[in-house]
Amino acid sequence: MSEHSVNIIMVEDDEGHARLIEKNIRRAGIANGIRHFVDGTAALDYMFNAPDGPKHNGPALILLDLNLPDMSGIDILAKIKGDDRLKRTPVVVLTTTDDKHEIQRCYDLGANVYITKPVNYENFAKAIQQLGLFLSVIQVPEVGDE
Amino acid sequence: MKISDRYFQRLVFAAMASGLLLLVIAAGIVVLAAGERQRSTALVVHTFEVENALDKFSVLTEQLETARRGYLLNHRQASLDTYRRTVVAIPRQLDRIEWLIRDNPAQEARLLGVRAEAERHRESARQTFALLASPNPAMRAMADFAVDTSFIPMIGLRNLVGVMDAEERRLLGIRSAAQDTASAQLNAVLGVVGILILLIMGGAFWIVLRYTTDLNRAQEALRSVNTGLEDAVAARTSELSRANDEIQRFAYIVSHDLRSPLVNVMGFTAELEAAIGPLTALADRVDADAPALMNADAREALADLPESIGFIRTSTNKMDRLINSILRLSREGRRTLQPAPIDLAAMVASIRDSLQFRLNELGAEIAIEAPMAAIVSDRLALEQILSNVIENATKYLQPGRPGRIVVSARRDARRVVIDVADNGRGIAPADHERIFELFRRSGVQDQPGEGLGLAHVRALSYRLGGVINCISTLGQGATFRLSLPDVLKVEPREGIAA
Repeated sequence: MSEHSVNIIMVEDDEGHARLIEKNIRRAGIANGIRHFVDGTAALDYMFNAPDGPKHNGPALILLDLNLPDMSGIDILAKIKGDDRLKRTPVVVLTTTDDKHEIQRCYDLGANVYITKPVNYENFAKAIQQLGLFLSVIQVPEVGDE
Repeated sequence: MKISDRYFQRLVFAAMASGLLLLVIAAGIVVLAAGERQRSTALVVHTFEVENALDKFSVLTEQLETARRGYLLNHRQASLDTYRRTVVAIPRQLDRIEWLIRDNPAQEARLLGVRAEAERHRESARQTFALLASPNPAMRAMADFAVDTSFIPMIGLRNLVGVMDAEERRLLGIRSAAQDTASAQLNAVLGVVGILILLIMGGAFWIVLRYTTDLNRAQEALRSVNTGLEDAVAARTSELSRANDEIQRFAYIVSHDLRSPLVNVMGFTAELEAAIGPLTALADRVDADAPALMNADAREALADLPESIGFIRTSTNKMDRLINSILRLSREGRRTLQPAPIDLAAMVASIRDSLQFRLNELGAEIAIEAPMAAIVSDRLALEQILSNVIENATKYLQPGRPGRIVVSARRDARRVVIDVADNGRGIAPADHERIFELFRRSGVQDQPGEGLGLAHVRALSYRLGGVINCISTLGQGATFRLSLPDVLKVEPREGIAA
């Protein structure tokens, strides 16, 4: 499996955050394709139905914000982890929420990593760049054939 | 009709007093009546004695007559003896009768008649015996005549004694009737007194019963009012805790939603800052290679950039701090409370220990007024409240006055009132409420802080079902009074979703 074939799907309603995340991931030297969605409905539609989406085509990694305008990121997480084909797709929850119960709930649902966005930008940039380094070494399973 | 306490007491006292009085009267009447009865019984006895004495006299007289006649017939010694005995006994008997009837002049007068007749009879009997003793037969024969004439005084005597007897019987009748009447009257009076006592006691009993019923009813009413009050308090408390929950939720959401844009502001400010370097390098190169392309405005704009970015940074940093404070506040509000018995004195002592260094520096002291009331509450929350308030007291001391902070806790019904009183600079009355508001501070701003401590304290107090307020005069110290339920009850709370 080639590193380049792993698509990064970013579900983030804040355009600024999305841009900053992308910038810092690139700064970490990650060149994988990043698909950005600003709402949950579009993101779910891509994941489950698009021909080039992770369900039908190839491995992916999902960056998920919990505060979305149309639905809670928790619901998206539950749908991904409840799907036979998608459940092995790594999900990195990247959000402002640092509520203990929320974090526990995400891990209970099968989230692989939970990262709280630091408000301080230097820390934020550092965290994302470290995430990028992490993404560069992570092995993502092939989706599909059981 | 409601019976007032005073009225009731007077009424019962009056009933008891009149009952007692009636009893005393009844007892007096009984004693008097007993005396009267004794007297009249004595009189009756006296009457019988007189009758008895009269009868004895009659018997003696008859015996004398019998002895005389008997001696006349047979000259027996027995008759002579009887004569001698009766002749002595009769005057004695008369003396006794006289003594007995000395209180009755009419009877005394009659007795004089009896005495005279008795004397005549005795004299006639003496003559008879004297004649019979005479040696002269003629004289002895004459005795027969004397006997014949002796029946005249005998009849007179019998009549007189009969009259006296009748008089005594009449007196006896009168006295018996009087005694009966007195008895009947006594019974009537005792009956009336008895009925009166019964009435009064019945009345008193009725009043007491009525009063007790009123009292019970009043207590019942009081109890229901109390229950109503408790319900009202419970309703108010749940309203307050709901309002508090809402505020916490609001604070949480707001602080989170404010964070997102702030991340952008800070992030892109950093990006801009990072862009200054390459831009300045470019400008320098333009200056060097093609000065014609550079103008003063561009140079100035480039020079102003760091300052502008600096202001943005300062502001965003401050905003970041404030948001974090609110977030911390709301997080505290969402912690699950764990009620446990708390030793307030030990808690305050440990707060004092943690401030000891500062206290030594300031020359201030913290006094714990023992004993402190027992309380069941959330340890962490209460500790945060107290340490916040006590630390505030050490922060705002009056310069030139040795600081003294007194912490006391007393029980007030079902609440515990904790006072933290200092002799510091005090707080102006206008600020007593304001200081509990978020980001608000009072007086000279010479101490570090965001204006969050007391807002936090108040939020925690509300969560513990309590209230905190400030009593102070500017320049004369302040007392923060925290009133908490003696036993904290935790109601199940719905979780707050992020």
